[in-house]
Amino acid sequence: MKTHRFTTILSIVLLFAFIFGCSQQPSQQKTDTSAQSQVSQLDTILKRGVLKVGFDTFKPWAMKDKSGNYIGFEIEVAKRLAADMGVDVEFVPTKWSGIIPALLTGKFDIIIGGMSITPQRNLKVNFSIPYEYTGMSVIASKKLAAGRTMASEFNNPATTVAVRLGTTAAEITKNFLPQAKILFFDEESQTIQELLNERVHAVVASNPLPLNLAKEYPDKLYLPFKEDFTREPISFAIRKGDFDYLNWLNNWVLVTMSTGWLQNRYEYWFYTNDWENQIQ
Amino acid sequence: MQKKPLKRRIRITPLDTTIMVVLAGIFGYIIYKAATGLNYHWNWAIIPQFLIRFDPDTQSWVPGLLMHGLFTTIRLSLWSGLFGVILGTFIGLFRVSPSLFRRQIASTYVGLIRNTPPLVLIFVFYFFVGDQIMTLLHVNEAVYALSPEAKEILSWLFGPMNRFSQFLSALVTLALFEAAYIAEIVRAGIESIEPGQWEAASGTGMSRTKAMAYVILPQAIQRMLPALAGQFISIIKDSAIVSVISIEELTFQAQQLMTTTYRSFEIWTLVLVMYFALTFMCSLIVRKLELTLQRD
Repeated sequence: MKTHRFTTILSIVLLFAFIFGCSQQPSQQKTDTSAQSQVSQLDTILKRGVLKVGFDTFKPWAMKDKSGNYIGFEIEVAKRLAADMGVDVEFVPTKWSGIIPALLTGKFDIIIGGMSITPQRNLKVNFSIPYEYTGMSVIASKKLAAGRTMASEFNNPATTVAVRLGTTAAEITKNFLPQAKILFFDEESQTIQELLNERVHAVVASNPLPLNLAKEYPDKLYLPFKEDFTREPISFAIRKGDFDYLNWLNNWVLVTMSTGWLQNRYEYWFYTNDWENQIQ
Repeated sequence: MQKKPLKRRIRITPLDTTIMVVLAGIFGYIIYKAATGLNYHWNWAIIPQFLIRFDPDTQSWVPGLLMHGLFTTIRLSLWSGLFGVILGTFIGLFRVSPSLFRRQIASTYVGLIRNTPPLVLIFVFYFFVGDQIMTLLHVNEAVYALSPEAKEILSWLFGPMNRFSQFLSALVTLALFEAAYIAEIVRAGIESIEPGQWEAASGTGMSRTKAMAYVILPQAIQRMLPALAGQFISIIKDSAIVSVISIEELTFQAQQLMTTTYRSFEIWTLVLVMYFALTFMCSLIVRKLELTLQRD
């Protein structure tokens, strides 16, 4: 009986060794080939004829319309980018918390998802120059946090703030409200629910979400600050070390920005509600 | 054995009435609290379009987003159920094999899978193992090279072809995971057969393989079927977990819809009803199956 148990444990150990062995080898091969041949992802995309875009649903950056097609600011940007490359676009919706690992393991060629540059993210990916800027704002509960208009009034241990996991909102909250308690949620809708159920005092999120919420629940919620907390650069993220591809993206941003197209689309998606009837 | 008449007269005792009233009261209170106590603007009117909607372009009724999610859930469950049963049967047979080596492989497999959280297994497989296999098999290239007709047929079976490699990755993980449980059902089924059956089979000169195929398995399968069917219902529920790797099944579609519309409660309620309808239907089929098997 003892030997039986021993062999079982031994085979489990061997199986683990086998699994790790398997997962190690190809990754080594990958780095070898990229070091030798230096094939840009840009060439791969052109050859394939399809640009694979990673993103997550964020209103109004990227959303599903009634027929299941994606619409939104980022979707238009991605379509334009692919059209300028002369390739088709393929959308790969991915959970925000796992979006960088998914990019690194090659599930798609680029993240176009309202991703703001942070030094931590930049250690793992390369960012293009920013094609848009976004601001974080606070939306607070009228019942729990009535009449507060200064950041210092939120900056105490008795205040709870909900943010979406993996977004820059968490870091911004830590910087501006270091003493407040932060709760993390996987989806934006969960943070809003916590706020409406009066379990948190405030939610930090990128505009126009706080603005829209204040409009939808005028008797429950309010905007404590007139100005946005931040002005964050939004960029394309790609895997590291591919400077041909990065150069192309940077120049695309410069050219498209100079024609005013980016600003025009931004205003359409962020400051009008003309598209609202497409989603519900 | 004499069969009892199917229809018995139902007597309602005062205790039954009390329990019913208390239950109705509790449910009523929950619904009342949900409707008034929560700070939430209920809006059920926007919900039906996620199930079925009229498409103005084609002038016809088409399934809505959540229905598409449900189809993916069904596809995922059917395929991983099928592969799970095939793999699980082999592992289960290995578990009762006279060869120590085979028993070791099988018990290692079952031990490894059953003692790992499925969520971790899915991440590991999706990010590390799945990727290597998909690249090795050139799945993506094969999908791009397909003709439109082939794509249509395959997308009917496996869902949208542009997400095929992700779907495959999820399917394989689910199948591997369920196979471990199915293997135990198979093992228990075979071990439940009385030793006399084995003796009788070998007495007529059958080899072990033949005895297994002609005597043991036909009886064991009958005993295994209800448990296997129950396991299939589990697969439907377990499939919700692959939403973490962005497979567009029911749970994922619901979460995406909630992010866009902020109608969390309505959508979760609807999703709950949809899962229940699907699994309850399966339960009814299982029950029917059990009754049919009992008869002989």
